[in-house]
Amino acid sequence: MLKEYTCIICPNGCEISVEMQGEEIIKLEGSLCDRGDKYIKQEIINPQRNIASSVLLENGVLPLASVRLTNPIPKSIIFNVMEEIKKTRLKAPVYVGQVAIQNILNLDSDVIVTKNIASKK
Amino acid sequence: MNLINKDVVIIGGGPAGLAAAVLLYKNGIKDILIIEREKTLGGILRQCIHDGFGLTRFKEQLSGPEYAQRFIDQVEELNISYQIDTTVLNITDDKMIQAVNRNGLFNYKAKAIILAMGCRERTRGALTIPGERPAGIMTAGVAQSYINLHNIMVGKDVIILGSGDIGLIMARRFTLEGAKVKGVFEILPYPSGLTRNIEQCLNDYNIPLYLSHTITNIHGNARITGVTVSKVDENLKPIPGTEKLYTCDTLILSVGLIPENELSLDAGVKLDNRTRGPVVDGNYQTSVEGIFAAGNVLHVHDLVDFVSIEAERLAYSVTEYIKNNSLPKCEIIINTSKDINYTVPQYIDKTKDFTLSFRVKRPFKNCRILVKQGELVIKIAAYKKVIPAEMINILINHKSLQSDKDLEVSIEC
Amino acid sequence: MTTKYDILIIGAGVIGSAVARELSRYDLKICVLEKNPDVCCETSGRNSAVIHGGFAYEIGTKKAECCVEGCLEFDKIAEELDVPFKRTGKVLVGSTREDHESLQKTIEIGRANGSIGLELIDKNRLLELVPTVIGEFAMFSPKSGIVDPFQYNIALAENAKKNGVDFYFEHEVVNIYRKTDEYWLIRTIQGDFETRWVVNCAGLGSVKISGMLGIHGYNLGGSKGDYIVLDKRIGHLLPMPVYPVPTTTYMGIHVTPTIGGNVIVGPNADYVDDYTYYGVTQKNIVFLAENAFALWPHIHKSDYIRNYSGIQPKWLDRQGILEDFVIEAPKEVPNTINLVGIESPGLTSALPIARRVVNLLKEHEQLHPNKGFNPKRKGIIRFNNQGNEVKEKLIAENPDYGEIICRCEGVTKAEIVQAIHNPLGVDTVTGIKYRTRSMMGRCQGGYCQMRIAQIIQEELNKNVTDIIYSRKESNMFVGTVRE
Repeated sequence: MLKEYTCIICPNGCEISVEMQGEEIIKLEGSLCDRGDKYIKQEIINPQRNIASSVLLENGVLPLASVRLTNPIPKSIIFNVMEEIKKTRLKAPVYVGQVAIQNILNLDSDVIVTKNIASKK
Repeated sequence: MNLINKDVVIIGGGPAGLAAAVLLYKNGIKDILIIEREKTLGGILRQCIHDGFGLTRFKEQLSGPEYAQRFIDQVEELNISYQIDTTVLNITDDKMIQAVNRNGLFNYKAKAIILAMGCRERTRGALTIPGERPAGIMTAGVAQSYINLHNIMVGKDVIILGSGDIGLIMARRFTLEGAKVKGVFEILPYPSGLTRNIEQCLNDYNIPLYLSHTITNIHGNARITGVTVSKVDENLKPIPGTEKLYTCDTLILSVGLIPENELSLDAGVKLDNRTRGPVVDGNYQTSVEGIFAAGNVLHVHDLVDFVSIEAERLAYSVTEYIKNNSLPKCEIIINTSKDINYTVPQYIDKTKDFTLSFRVKRPFKNCRILVKQGELVIKIAAYKKVIPAEMINILINHKSLQSDKDLEVSIEC
Repeated sequence: MTTKYDILIIGAGVIGSAVARELSRYDLKICVLEKNPDVCCETSGRNSAVIHGGFAYEIGTKKAECCVEGCLEFDKIAEELDVPFKRTGKVLVGSTREDHESLQKTIEIGRANGSIGLELIDKNRLLELVPTVIGEFAMFSPKSGIVDPFQYNIALAENAKKNGVDFYFEHEVVNIYRKTDEYWLIRTIQGDFETRWVVNCAGLGSVKISGMLGIHGYNLGGSKGDYIVLDKRIGHLLPMPVYPVPTTTYMGIHVTPTIGGNVIVGPNADYVDDYTYYGVTQKNIVFLAENAFALWPHIHKSDYIRNYSGIQPKWLDRQGILEDFVIEAPKEVPNTINLVGIESPGLTSALPIARRVVNLLKEHEQLHPNKGFNPKRKGIIRFNNQGNEVKEKLIAENPDYGEIICRCEGVTKAEIVQAIHNPLGVDTVTGIKYRTRSMMGRCQGGYCQMRIAQIIQEELNKNVTDIIYSRKESNMFVGTVRE
């Protein structure tokens, strides 16, 4: 069976076609680098995604602290991760790289703050 | 009138302004002032909390605010002057700048001005979408600002017009926050945004993308209740009889960005009506001597990494301008074939290498971009795939130019 | 306990507000009921914003009289009420022999009506006045002008309020009964009112209200006109309104500069009977641009920033012929003053109409002066229009003047805050827009609307879900992202 994928690793957006036999990959072509190959193999087995969102911030000059994951997590669990993020609160000041949730849902990925936000005076 | 002299005034503390400032300073031009109208530096990146920034520049996948912070940190370390919460009211062709903030009016006279104001979004009024004008209609950037900066949720049942990147990013954002995105409608027969955004923002969440469709009516008196969508023909005109009603409580418009050049026009800067940004030469200098432009104000970019690089190229030129009080005249015009939308810069000179940035008018597969000077082919670049959504940058070695003849950029398959 | 009034005015458009203001010169307990969340939501804010010279109306009509009166006094009114107004003049442009004859007739009518300064001008003079127009000759009306219709309506209402009039918004009238010999009972969706007199200024709703009062025989026709708004950048190309030679029933596709520096193209005229639908069609936009382009070839899609529409309430008699303003105190239904068919030139005629209402009242009652009456009203100072010295002073006194919120129109936080705390208690986003010009620029709120919403939240301690855009229940937001 032939499947078409678009790689999202870099702006090239290579169109990669994969020839499958059952669960096994027989042929993979169209990628310009092997990051693409790696990505496609992962996509087939267990698609991973990084997501960004916001966490409520108390006493900050902004009401929300933007956050993202340090490592991609399985696409199928995105909304479970979102639930955890929604429950979290932080207190200002916060800094880029600060860990908001460590090892979220045991997925080997932290949720980190991505913006410096000062406290309200 | 209190007049302050500055070597360089940079209007806009977003990615273009920040990158230019840092490189100028490192090149020895230290009398710089960045003027930023928001309460913090960073520009539009402050609200772009998703990742995908910095892949080329830092070899990392950063969010917008993190990318901005890399430059803000350098501005702070180098002690480069900036004013925040300050709006430039006008600039003149002899490089006078008037700005205002809570402490009063400020008047500057600069040796060089760098325009880095970014862009604004195309509005419904500019598109003349017919129908009622209820609450619940906004451009994607406005929705992004409400959701990411103001902690305000704008709707639950969303339709998006336009498959530009911001609309795609917001499709995902809305979905992650529990809203239902019913569909993205795109008038062209191909998407306007990057392929990877179609993948990660629409396909991942089973949000349908309807190409060759547009909105022909808006319904709802107080708050929007729905839209009528029609298919369009090859001339982008709605096909009668194809109307379909989609209910919604929110309509997001992602239908294009327009470089914000109101201040530039005040100073008499000539704009290119293809980019709606200033016409610039190989030094990123506009038609007004000593006024330079880079970033989204010059032409709309899709990757911030290239904004930084462009601003840095500009900074080298401004450095030379400040040191020597002049720059070599650029008189070689860059022409484009019918499939190439525009190039930036629009003029160059033979004395130094330059990068041509441009976009194609429609998608091409397995093609070659040719840069010719008369009959002579100066550069060929081959691509498996090029789309209008992705800016192409080609570095040209100045030694390959043999004369003062104009250049032409074209594409062949 | 219902609140008892001497005078209850239905409608806070420019007519109702003008009536309120004129009546507030007298010692009367007055209120205005308005169905929308603000003044100026319907016809009063959806027109060409022109102060007309008075030549387009039949001799001896109230339209003609009131228009000329309103036009000639407008400098004084604008100054009293702090309303942006410019007596630009206007040209009616023609090129054919029929046009020429028609214009000669128009001048005669205008002169008979009392219009001042009307003259036929040749091509040279026409091009001196409007270098960008296409035409062979024109009628020049030097007294015509342009006004900010929102500021005018707001100013009238604020002055009335200051002089003691109560305003009730979102109080749509659903029924009217005679309670006693002295009092009417007015039932609204938010409660009852009792009043000795009712003044019907309901515009598009005037026939409905007439009916509720027991005054029958009126038939309204709605004439909907669409407009395109063009970018300020080309405003300098149009120094005054330019109209083609009109017919007796409608004005023609004009191009009109606005007091804010934009240009508006329109209106067309479509008969409608749904007075709640203000959508603009693609067909009309194309029609307007094509038609007006022949007269003024500077209309380009890249300059479109917005479009809007308005519906004029035309009173048509049984033969469908257009009638004059109705300003009456019908004997059959005492204690009412009934205004029907106040279409164009309603904006120009507002105060003259209001004075006629006062005179009608005077025929039935002794009116005593309101000793505290002050005809003057001051609006919000526009930072953008001041010189540098004044700007410095304003910022020194109030640093909020140094914070630009609306970049396109140069509106500061101080103005937004003042608009939020307006005398009428209006708190819609559009209400702030009309009081400050914010969100009216080329980015249409793309930069400022978020900041304005934030300032409303802060100043009024409002929940995000209670912020209203324009019409009743036009909530802008559904909640917060995080609780």
